[in-house]
Amino acid sequence: MRALVLILAAVVLLPFIVRPAIASEIWIFAIFGLGLNLLLGYTGLLSFGQSTFFGSAAYVAGYLLKHYAIGVFAALGIGVAVGAISALLVGYLCVQRSGLYFIMLTFALNQLFYFIAYQWTTVTGGEDGMPGVPRPAMLGIDFRDPVAYYIFVSVLFLLSLWLMKRIVDSPLGKILQGIRENEVRAEAVGYHVPRFKLLAFVIGGAFSGLAGVLYAMLFGIVPLEAIGFVTSGNVVFATLIGGSGSLYGPIIGSFVFIWLSESMSVVWARWPLLLGVAFIVVVLFFRGGVVEAWDRIWRFSKRTT
Amino acid sequence: MALLETHDLSKAFGALTAVNAVSLRVEAGTLHSIIGPNGAGKTTLFNLLTGTFPPSAGRIVFDGSDITGTPAHRIAHLGLARSFQRTNVFPAFSLLDNVWLAAFACSKSWRGLLWRRADRYPEATAQARAALADVGLGEKADQPAREISHGEQRQLELAIALAAAPRVLLLDEPAAGLSPEETRRMVALVRALKGRYTIVLIEHKMDIIMNVSDRISVMHFGSLIAEGTPEEIQRNAEVRRAYLGGVAA
Amino acid sequence: MNLLLGQILNGIATGMLYALMGLGLSLITGVLNIPNFAHGALFAIGAYFLVSVVGLLGNFWLGLLVAPIGVALLGLLIEYAGVRRLYAAGHDYQLLFTFGLALILNELIIVIWGPVGISHLPPAILRGGVDLGFTFYPKYRLFVMAMAGLLVVATWLFLEKTRYGAIMRAGIENKEMVSLLGIDIHWLFTVAFALGAYLAGIAGALTAPIRGLSPGMGVDMLGIAFVVVALGGLGNLLGAIAAGLLIGVAQAVVAAYWTEASTAVIFAVMAAVLLVRPQGLFGIR
Repeated sequence: MRALVLILAAVVLLPFIVRPAIASEIWIFAIFGLGLNLLLGYTGLLSFGQSTFFGSAAYVAGYLLKHYAIGVFAALGIGVAVGAISALLVGYLCVQRSGLYFIMLTFALNQLFYFIAYQWTTVTGGEDGMPGVPRPAMLGIDFRDPVAYYIFVSVLFLLSLWLMKRIVDSPLGKILQGIRENEVRAEAVGYHVPRFKLLAFVIGGAFSGLAGVLYAMLFGIVPLEAIGFVTSGNVVFATLIGGSGSLYGPIIGSFVFIWLSESMSVVWARWPLLLGVAFIVVVLFFRGGVVEAWDRIWRFSKRTT
Repeated sequence: MALLETHDLSKAFGALTAVNAVSLRVEAGTLHSIIGPNGAGKTTLFNLLTGTFPPSAGRIVFDGSDITGTPAHRIAHLGLARSFQRTNVFPAFSLLDNVWLAAFACSKSWRGLLWRRADRYPEATAQARAALADVGLGEKADQPAREISHGEQRQLELAIALAAAPRVLLLDEPAAGLSPEETRRMVALVRALKGRYTIVLIEHKMDIIMNVSDRISVMHFGSLIAEGTPEEIQRNAEVRRAYLGGVAA
Repeated sequence: MNLLLGQILNGIATGMLYALMGLGLSLITGVLNIPNFAHGALFAIGAYFLVSVVGLLGNFWLGLLVAPIGVALLGLLIEYAGVRRLYAAGHDYQLLFTFGLALILNELIIVIWGPVGISHLPPAILRGGVDLGFTFYPKYRLFVMAMAGLLVVATWLFLEKTRYGAIMRAGIENKEMVSLLGIDIHWLFTVAFALGAYLAGIAGALTAPIRGLSPGMGVDMLGIAFVVVALGGLGNLLGAIAAGLLIGVAQAVVAAYWTEASTAVIFAVMAAVLLVRPQGLFGIR
């Protein structure tokens, strides 16, 4: 309940603190993280290929928005479907292997989609990205207005959060956590583990797809990076710093990550280097995410004063 | 009537034949023990019965139908539940959730799998609580499994198997690693379950076996070398040589 | 037809390099049980080291000798100062660490050597080609084939015929046993990482005169190394060679007819193989 109040407050206050575009990006990235965390936090599956679903949805929906002038809701629906279907294909190959093989496969299949996007320039624009994705008006609301679009994104984010909460509180959520805790026992008590992993993949892919479409409409372009490995790594990073152990972790992580990358990118063109340093610092010193980090800093400052 | 039968069941891992042409008949309602020295193939036999891996040869018949090669996740739905020799629970889960997961797996319907709250399945929850109460852990339902004692984890192991309301209970050394006091409690527990379920029991401790079993099968180097009532087994010279050694002499 | 034969030869040359990458990754991933996302960056660093050493000393052979050793030392440092502290952490944090490292190395390449691609000529003695009857083939590629083959054989000899190699194989299969034998497992891990880094570095150095250098070369190779391991199996030498040659040849043949698809085809071949054989070429785990 307290978490909900905090999130609602953040949704209302955020556009007064940062530009609406960045505020929108935070919630979009949070939706992306929610999808990953169903795999990473709940099922214990470290997918390093989430941008496959994010990017595929962005390209397909973006293309249709641009060339066929489809409506906003159709674009969202198509994005969710593309995210889910691409996750079904990738997941089918990945869930048959476990551990390190699984991680490597998600990355390798991500590369497959990346190189298709990279070379299929007539559709995707290759390295230049696919510009000119419109934000069509709906019910007389002009989404080109950044604030209107921010409200739209926020509502979808809250909806996603509610949906994800339903899922993790459902028997499926319990089963996935059971698989994370003990795969052999989950199989022995009667769950077909690969089937459930695949289901988690598809749901996570659908969330990624939704985030992908919203992202394309936010910036009006689908950059090649949207389907690249850095995007896959970023969402893992964001989820881990937020704390993969809770439903709200990816939301906190999205805040920290977008803030971090926005502020670093104005400092230096080679900011991925700083990001890499941040990754390593977090891993070596602040494992357990910001909640634990905050706790440590607080204790440290108490000791020094 | 035999509820569970194997016919010439074999499993080879490369050159090693872990289970060799084992033919077993477990009568409904009985407690049937399988004994044998370490490495005799008892646990491998369980793994075959529960579909962990398929047999190299032979058949498994459960309640009149051939279930050979049925994968592990289907076995539980047929009414065969197992406990593991090494404690194999969901450590971060509460005891109730541990057992609930098994109860839900075999419940009649998975309606609402994705959207109904997991605590809104009164039938599965009641079944889970009953199973916990059966093993004497009713009071600790809300504690995380990793925080209870080893003895209690063995009891939980049993409760997970019970939760699915199985027709056959396969217990793999339920008293492994228990103190004498905890062992006594476990024996009482198994004895209380006797008659309510058809039980196949793997055990090392002879006093337990002789106390609770209706029938005993003896495995040695992957093969069955004797079968009979506890008295018959105690008198059997070959068994004594192979396994009991000085203990029963 | 001659074009096709030439392309197959090209495929074998690059395939051997892929096998080297896969082998090195296999050592690191198998022995240390960590996902090494910096393996591609180590490859790229090997290539750039070569260019710098050759620029400094004016001798390709010295470069080929020194550059991979530099990468091995870098690997040693990475294991000793970072990875070592993460063995108890989950794969997620190990991954984040090596991924962060990859980002840093990649950006450092841009900072030090610039964002634009560099081309690098093979040494004078290996320039030009030889007439193989059916095609006129570049000498340098034949050299790469021989060199990569030599390295694979050397790695095989090391793993199969020496005591250290036996310990390393045991480390892949059963870590408990190794520590029971009274062997310092930390030492084993450091050596495995350095050796894996060496193989990545020399693959990079050998590649430089063929494909030239660009900051993105590491990431492209990382995915390929993963494919080799996913198909060939961890710690499986024969698997690495078979998988490397398979994707190398597939890529080269496709490149002759449909250049744009030549990289994507590597991953498509992997997907196709896994569809039929989910457990990889030789069915390990």
